[in-house]
Amino acid sequence: MAEERVGPPERRLPLFRRQAIEGAPGTIKLAELPFAAKFVLRLDPAAGEAAFRQAAGLDLPAAPLMSVVNGERAVLWLGPDEFLVVAPEAEAGELAEALAAGLADTHHQFTEVSNYYTAILVEGPKARQALMKLTTLDLHPRAFKPGMVAGSNFGHAQAYLWLEHEEEGAARLRLYVRWSMAEYLWCALAEAGREWGVPEQEPVAGEPMLTESVTSRKA
Amino acid sequence: MFVITCPYCGERDLTEFAYGGEAHIARPHWREDMSDAEWADFLFMRANPKGVLAERWMHAAGCRRFFNMLRNTATDDILAVYRIGETPPKVEARLPATPSGEAPLGSGNDAVKVIQPGEGG
Repeated sequence: MAEERVGPPERRLPLFRRQAIEGAPGTIKLAELPFAAKFVLRLDPAAGEAAFRQAAGLDLPAAPLMSVVNGERAVLWLGPDEFLVVAPEAEAGELAEALAAGLADTHHQFTEVSNYYTAILVEGPKARQALMKLTTLDLHPRAFKPGMVAGSNFGHAQAYLWLEHEEEGAARLRLYVRWSMAEYLWCALAEAGREWGVPEQEPVAGEPMLTESVTSRKA
Repeated sequence: MFVITCPYCGERDLTEFAYGGEAHIARPHWREDMSDAEWADFLFMRANPKGVLAERWMHAAGCRRFFNMLRNTATDDILAVYRIGETPPKVEARLPATPSGEAPLGSGNDAVKVIQPGEGG
């Protein structure tokens, strides 16, 4: 798997050196998702919802903090007039053209951010608990329900958290984080999962993580 | 730590927000005869009351939208949160209690006075 992830420099994800890691069976798994097409769409939903549906094949989220999924494509709410559109990598050109044509008469802005954000998958029954250590978001199942998206700080990194799916307490969450913060967030997530046996992840540049448990273990 | 209710995202921790200074300060239309003092007044002069202040805040880590807030600077009570472009709602500010329990008005102790919107400044 590592060989596949280390491609030519222009085809490297920010976490290409990292393999998927997991804790004890039935607790938590971490992985970086492969390349995908990502677009940030600025659009007033009242003005452009019908045009967007026709062009992209899915609705805009009806309520704040929600998402809409149709097959491989998804739209995530980032703000009252801002959405993250996610699609398989192969559909990037097709989707961009369809949206440019479909929204030509509507005031909008459409920016490709495929190589700006990367997605880290956090999966398992302990995924919520691990993330709770890094953020002030209310991640109790009562407050953070399947399909919800929320931007917040995770450790020192700003990221968008999406609860993609949850079944019998096992949650599948995605973190959309900026390219340059992915390495930090990966190590912070591994650190949060240490109590369930997630292997320790050394920052690639060798910089200290400055968390107490790491520094005391090395002393 | 305190919790701020973003008008779009709901209740979030203070650390997700950025402060944007006093709200409702309109940029003056440029005129030939505008004096430096007038321009400086727009740029630098702020009310800084002990009491209710209309402020701009931005939900920097979440939806990245500016919104307005009425906050009692004496007690840190958040009295109202409203969107950009809306008129500030009427609020009642709680007077801060003092250790010796002076009457809020008439005691000569200015520290316990709360300026309501539209008063003094």
